[in-house]
Amino acid sequence: MSVATPYHDREAIFSFWPRHNETLLKRLESKDAWLSTRRGIEVSRVEDALEHEMTLNIGPQHPATHGVLRCVVKLDGERIEKCVLDIGYLHRGIEKLAESKTYQEFMPYTDRMDYLSPYANNVAWCMAVEKLANIEVPDRAQWIRMIMCELARISSHLLWLGVGLMDAGAVSVFLWTFQGREDLYSIFDEVSGARFTVSHSRIGGLATDLSPTAIAMIRDFATRYEEIIKGWQKLLNRNRIWIDRNRDIGVISKEEAIELGLTGPNLRGSGVPYDIRIFEPYLKYNEVDFTIPIREEGDCLARYHIRVEEMLESIRIINQCLDRLPEGPIRTDDAKKAYPSKDEVYYSMEGMIHDFMYTETGVAPPKGAASYHAIESPKGELGFYLESDGTGCPWRARLNAPSFTNLQGLESMMEGHPVADIVVLIGSIDPVMGEADR
Amino acid sequence: MPETLKFHFTPVDEARAEEKNVHEKASTNVADTVEVLQGQFPGAIAKVSVYAGEYTAFVKRESLLQVCTALKETLGFTYLVDLAGVDRFCEDAPRYEVYYAIVNLDTGKRLRLKVLVDEEDAVVPSLTGLFKAADWNERECYDMLGIRFEGHPDLRRMYMPEDFAYHPQRKEFPLLGIPGSLPLPPRVPEGELTMDPFAAARSGSPAKSYQEPKGEDA
Amino acid sequence: MNSTTGYLTTTVDAVVNWARSNSLMPMPMGLACCAIEMMAFGGPKYDVGRFGSEAMRFSPRQADLMIIAGWCSYKMSHAIRRVWDQMADPKWCIAMGACASSGGMHRCYGVVQGVDNFMPVDVYIPGCPPRPEAVIHALMDIQEKIRNEYSVTQDYTSGQKEIVELSARPGSLTVEGRKVALDASSLADA
Repeated sequence: MSVATPYHDREAIFSFWPRHNETLLKRLESKDAWLSTRRGIEVSRVEDALEHEMTLNIGPQHPATHGVLRCVVKLDGERIEKCVLDIGYLHRGIEKLAESKTYQEFMPYTDRMDYLSPYANNVAWCMAVEKLANIEVPDRAQWIRMIMCELARISSHLLWLGVGLMDAGAVSVFLWTFQGREDLYSIFDEVSGARFTVSHSRIGGLATDLSPTAIAMIRDFATRYEEIIKGWQKLLNRNRIWIDRNRDIGVISKEEAIELGLTGPNLRGSGVPYDIRIFEPYLKYNEVDFTIPIREEGDCLARYHIRVEEMLESIRIINQCLDRLPEGPIRTDDAKKAYPSKDEVYYSMEGMIHDFMYTETGVAPPKGAASYHAIESPKGELGFYLESDGTGCPWRARLNAPSFTNLQGLESMMEGHPVADIVVLIGSIDPVMGEADR
Repeated sequence: MPETLKFHFTPVDEARAEEKNVHEKASTNVADTVEVLQGQFPGAIAKVSVYAGEYTAFVKRESLLQVCTALKETLGFTYLVDLAGVDRFCEDAPRYEVYYAIVNLDTGKRLRLKVLVDEEDAVVPSLTGLFKAADWNERECYDMLGIRFEGHPDLRRMYMPEDFAYHPQRKEFPLLGIPGSLPLPPRVPEGELTMDPFAAARSGSPAKSYQEPKGEDA
Repeated sequence: MNSTTGYLTTTVDAVVNWARSNSLMPMPMGLACCAIEMMAFGGPKYDVGRFGSEAMRFSPRQADLMIIAGWCSYKMSHAIRRVWDQMADPKWCIAMGACASSGGMHRCYGVVQGVDNFMPVDVYIPGCPPRPEAVIHALMDIQEKIRNEYSVTQDYTSGQKEIVELSARPGSLTVEGRKVALDASSLADA
């Protein structure tokens, strides 16, 4: 294996990843437009005397790319002929990091994957480990997890709505939705002590119970925001500018969506009723009453409708959860599988030893165990595939990131649209680069 | 596990298939599909392992494409959810394995296939012809583990820049990386450092630490 | 006669610094989770418009304060350095959060262990992520720093420019004819 060392040469002038850019451009040149191979549509060429072909680089530092996405597009006039996405600008090797952490230690890293809805990631990780190590979770913890997951879904969709509208030109909606996020932050602050990187879920249960204040705050949020979200629907559903920017943009049919592997609202926007909450119910989703919004159109407008309706469904779920929240413990009472309660730790020797051992080694699933557990995060199917070697650290922790698969679809979706629609398209796909880049 | 590693608290017991898992899902019970595959392609499936109610079929590398084609076209497993590589890093068997998670949306079933790959001959047939969703996942697997996918149209690195020469997910790659393998920008700009913010307006050029791309007319 | 049109005396430095410090235009280099807190910092509740910095400029040419929010990978570092070089002087930089300051929890092959490895940083904010109050505090620190600068008299005299040159012997630096010791060995010689 040869190591590239042009940079060790002090005389060489620094430039931006020369070999990387070269392959990227080569790929752009050699690529077949998916539009013409799959759909048989020839991208019409603008014939004029002026030069109309152009290769344009967007990102990685561009406000509309929602992070550090880089698109290299080949333009024909204003239409995108082909597009190559380049990700990895936030890559830190989270799967590699997991291999040197205990299961509980890895929890804060999951907060920073999809940082718009950290609680959902916490729960996804906990449930994956619980499946691997066969740990039972008390009922109350499951109901609370559900409440918090749905709050996380709302907070993620709120940011998507605000930022998506800001990209389309409506700046004031960002201020309104961010006010909603601030209300959610104060709930998370009350529940866990952090504004959004909560790390509140624990393997085998939760860190702390909900305080009466927190429950009152959640109830208040649920009642107020049902009206507010409906108000936004009134503003946007018949808004001429918003509809014109979104309708028939990035149309993906049902078959294409499955073939591209889209997940979450993007898949449901094309008419595929795939939601993990229904497909393989986790927590107590089979006991509450809710519907998953589905649209057939498969364009940006359909995805918008789905996300806003999902927020309303989430509020419905939260209300049911609050009504049915049972009393009981919030963590499983097995010190080999979950942290003992602080009372035990402070007042008994046994408890302290267990607490220490749990921090030191943690839960140890049997050797050779391998399992996959997915939850429906706001972005789609968020799954962890874990393999154990019998120690306290995972042998292999694989993160199946919804943003990653959705971005892959975006590459094909962009083709044939004007440059101005890139902004709306990225917004409607709703990628989070921290998750996509692992 | 090497003898030198001693874990005091850890009970190293083997995973047992018959143990009842509280999180077991009905969707992962695909015994019938595995049976159909075994009947259709005798010898293609080397082993079937079960843990937590999840079926994993170890497919031989030569028959991976056949099996996946049958899964997609006749058995209805059309939706590729995940694809990744695992570094097993042990002496007794092939070093890598690639796992595929495929979902049947009609019957609501989830199947996992695995292919074992030798270190010397780390090549797997690409599934991009069947599932377009495999494209980026295979690139990621190539980037992280160095497993090559035969027939992939665009086997570039997914995350790391092409100027990087290693495959970081391999177990022997240090977590902190290899110094010098990824260059940082220079600390100080190239050229003479002036405190003049209007250097370009006067005579010289402002100090830059990067090379401006040359324009067409330059 | 009592006049309503008084006058006050000041220095050009003070006026320029006052103007600069109260109209910092941040260039939000939003990389990861800290970017969300940076949005909150510009958002309705924490409203950084009170400090004159509500105008986030995504173009480096129009900005003079870079806020690096989030962990910086090696791949991204080149882009950050490039954007930083494109910003016009005078410019300042805030490394927001533990990851940007020191690599933080991401101690691994992909992440630069602190952005000060390749660019100058004025203020570091601890926290993972820091609360918006902390970012406002950092902004006030930058303002304080600007108010104490000799912005006109020292930096921008292009005619009689300040001479910073390396003398022939490495390890010693001459500033305006004064010899400045850089390390212990050169101290001993002087």
